[in-house]
Amino acid sequence: APVGATELRFAHWVPPQHTLTASTIEPLQAAVADAGVEIRVYPGGELGAGPLEQYVRAVTGTADIVWGLQGYTSTQFPRTMISELPGAQPEGMTGYDMIWNAYDAGLLADEFPGTVPLALWLSEPNVFIMRDHDIRTPADLAGLKIRVSGSAAGATIEALGATPVQMPAGEIYNALQTGLIDGVVTGASAIGDFRLDEVANSYTYGADLGHISFYVVMNQGAYDALSDEERAALDSIAGRELSRSAEEGWLARAESVTESIQATGDNTVIFLTDEEAAAFDEITFPVRDQVISGVDGGEEVLATMQGE
Amino acid sequence: MLRTLDKVAAGVIALAAIVGTIGLIAEVVVILIDVIGRYFGTPLRGAQDITQMGMVVLVFGGMALCDRLNGHIAVDLFERAFPTWLIRLTDILAAASGVAIFLGIAWNMWKSAAISQMLNLSTNIINLPKDWFQYFVVVCCVITAAGMLLRLISLLLGGPLRQAEGHAS
Amino acid sequence: MSSFDVGLIGMGALFVLLAFRIPVAFAMFVVGFLGIWNLHSLNAAMNYLASESFTIASSAELVVVPLFILMGNVATETGMSRRLYDAAYAMIGSIRGGLASATIIGCGGFAALSGSSVASALTMGKVSLGEMERFNYDHRLSTGAVAAGGTLGILIPPSTGFVIYAILTQESIGRLFLAGVLPGLLLLFMFVLTVTVQCWLKPEMGPAGPRTTAGEKARAMVGALPILTVILLTIGGIYTGIFSPTEASAVGAGLIIIIGLVSRKLTLSAFWAAAKSSVVTTATVMFILIGAHMLIPFLALSHIPQEVGAFLEGLNVHSLVILALILACYLVLGCFLEGFAMLVLTMPIFFPVIQQLGFDPIWFGVLVVLTLEMGLISPPVGVNVFIVKSVAQHVPLGTIFRGVIPFWLAMIATLILLVAFPQISLLLPNTMIN
Ligand code: NA
Ligand code: NA
Repeated sequence: APVGATELRFAHWVPPQHTLTASTIEPLQAAVADAGVEIRVYPGGELGAGPLEQYVRAVTGTADIVWGLQGYTSTQFPRTMISELPGAQPEGMTGYDMIWNAYDAGLLADEFPGTVPLALWLSEPNVFIMRDHDIRTPADLAGLKIRVSGSAAGATIEALGATPVQMPAGEIYNALQTGLIDGVVTGASAIGDFRLDEVANSYTYGADLGHISFYVVMNQGAYDALSDEERAALDSIAGRELSRSAEEGWLARAESVTESIQATGDNTVIFLTDEEAAAFDEITFPVRDQVISGVDGGEEVLATMQGE
Repeated sequence: MLRTLDKVAAGVIALAAIVGTIGLIAEVVVILIDVIGRYFGTPLRGAQDITQMGMVVLVFGGMALCDRLNGHIAVDLFERAFPTWLIRLTDILAAASGVAIFLGIAWNMWKSAAISQMLNLSTNIINLPKDWFQYFVVVCCVITAAGMLLRLISLLLGGPLRQAEGHAS
Repeated sequence: MSSFDVGLIGMGALFVLLAFRIPVAFAMFVVGFLGIWNLHSLNAAMNYLASESFTIASSAELVVVPLFILMGNVATETGMSRRLYDAAYAMIGSIRGGLASATIIGCGGFAALSGSSVASALTMGKVSLGEMERFNYDHRLSTGAVAAGGTLGILIPPSTGFVIYAILTQESIGRLFLAGVLPGLLLLFMFVLTVTVQCWLKPEMGPAGPRTTAGEKARAMVGALPILTVILLTIGGIYTGIFSPTEASAVGAGLIIIIGLVSRKLTLSAFWAAAKSSVVTTATVMFILIGAHMLIPFLALSHIPQEVGAFLEGLNVHSLVILALILACYLVLGCFLEGFAMLVLTMPIFFPVIQQLGFDPIWFGVLVVLTLEMGLISPPVGVNVFIVKSVAQHVPLGTIFRGVIPFWLAMIATLILLVAFPQISLLLPNTMIN
């Protein structure tokens, strides 16, 4: 490595042992190490409290690279958020390909001002994480209180006949325990991250409840300041390749969480058949269409994402 | 001159505190409506959005009055050992640093509000624009800084000192 | 100058600024700002002024702060606090220091509702300090009891401290909560013992009241019925899942306001004054918390935690010595940092060391949370002490810190017991969860 290595600050708010490290940060670090770029990681919110300010931190250069969820500031990402909707991801297509299809077509440029996206990807499918309620049909949800984080997810839950409840992520555990909420809709990996396995006991897979989207972006000025060699090293992994590594990491994590909740033996784990899942689609797909119709150029974005 | 300014400041500070107090009462009402509504299956949409932004309003709405009432907590452990001139000097430093901090927050919150506008940031469920509340913070911080500046001038002109153990009961 | 040196100088500067009467929040802002400027850039330091201020002020978790202050204020305004303490005085006032012990037990009960030490100290402080003053309790005893008792909020479950520890270390929240129960009760007992011993040595600190007849006791209890009802409804609502501990703060405040207005014990103008005073106290407390968050990026950029962690890992001594050194680090850091800031900065560094040494992570979690509690009352940056000060403006900070010392010693004794007898922490989680 050349003398006077460039140091970049990577800020996120999860612990170092989170999937993010092995799936995303380490490949990124490895790709640029030989060009003399050192990426120093500040986990756990060390460079500032709260996931809501992550993107702003990258724009202002408080951190050079940040990881975040589009869903926390969804009004910034109306088009990217389409990738999260139920029924958006076609069979056989990866989530990151969907988002990059739209990005490469120039449809998402307005949503990432001041930064260079290094990775954009989707989580594993959302599932029902329930306490004392088995969900097999939409009717099973009638009147139940389900924690959601965004307005599209709220509309989906409402359409299914349940009551959407808003609360900070840190309160979910207690709320499930006391019965304040009956369940949560999110990716299976969150079951492990927030220890929901301790308070939930019934899980339903297979209904298309959408996904969660993530970004890793870099401050534009920091990117421009790299030498040609350094930038070439970064560009060699940025984009679909880093996104693929990230998404595969999330999927693998979700799979191991699913295996572990099945292994305990005291959980109900339901995998819906295609027919059972279709009953949910019938209700949630119209919500998707309605959300998309409210987004400027939404239909075109979805079609481009789906590779049409 | 200084006295007139002080009267104006007192009025503006009281106004900010009124807005903050309304924010607090709104917070109680919104949470109660949400809790009762949820019990009957119809929670208040965006209750969390409102309570979070209400917090911003009440925290910064009350900031200037907090300073005026000498509410900011300082360590008084060694106060009795200090000569009067040192007490005056530290009071001046405290007021000066306060002016700098609140002007700094105001200036950067102003810039941050512009970024919020650029990124179209708003709360997640009912889309309360983030920049509205950031501009509110800007106004409150300017008021707080102005109040401190007046005290700074008064201290420099030999005005009364801050008494940590002042209003003993 | 290395970043490590800058970090140390910053901590020293904080100490000096505080000693020279610069308000606590301002001192933290100044040190954090200059430190970030030195270790990162002026631009970053400027950005933190806005981002940390807005993030902390809009934090959903901190909504409890103004609401519990309001609840304490209206309880005092309506005379409910007075009747609660009249009842407590009738029941146990004849015991020396009885009201202080009752306050600590009240803190323990409040801790079982709320996951936050700040909320516990604020509400119990608002409700109890004026009342203990009325019965001629020494300020040192009353404020020390509330500042220390409030820390129980994060040892007795539910606890934000354990939740953050669990998420940062991927440990079980349920096991941690169970592990906090017996140590929490032990600490509660130690605090009551501390009150008793102090009042036995100096009876004038918590003067004994006259003995009361059964009739007087009954009358006092009836007078306290409204507030006891509110407390029961609030507890019941949380445990039956009707509302969250955060929402309970609004429900409790709302109930007291309604009872006060309906019974005409609370006029509209008195209510407005109580709300306005709550807003001012909230501004005080929140600005300190924002200032505390300015120090996190500064210390992260100084890499002090990493270097200390690397030093500990390289030590070739008995594992218990390393554990003692880690806990000592927390005690020292606790003097300067707010509790959760400490967790965020240190867990990624210290936790792998603890795992490598083979210590039980649940047990370590209890020890960490107890040392965080100690940090909340250690000078110069003792958040709970500032909170007590914010609700008892006329009591000098020095008096509160002096009042806290015996309780701090009780916590050291508890910490030693918990290290010596891991079963105290591990009995419940190991028997109730397999
Ligand atoms: Na608690
Ligand atoms: Na401390």
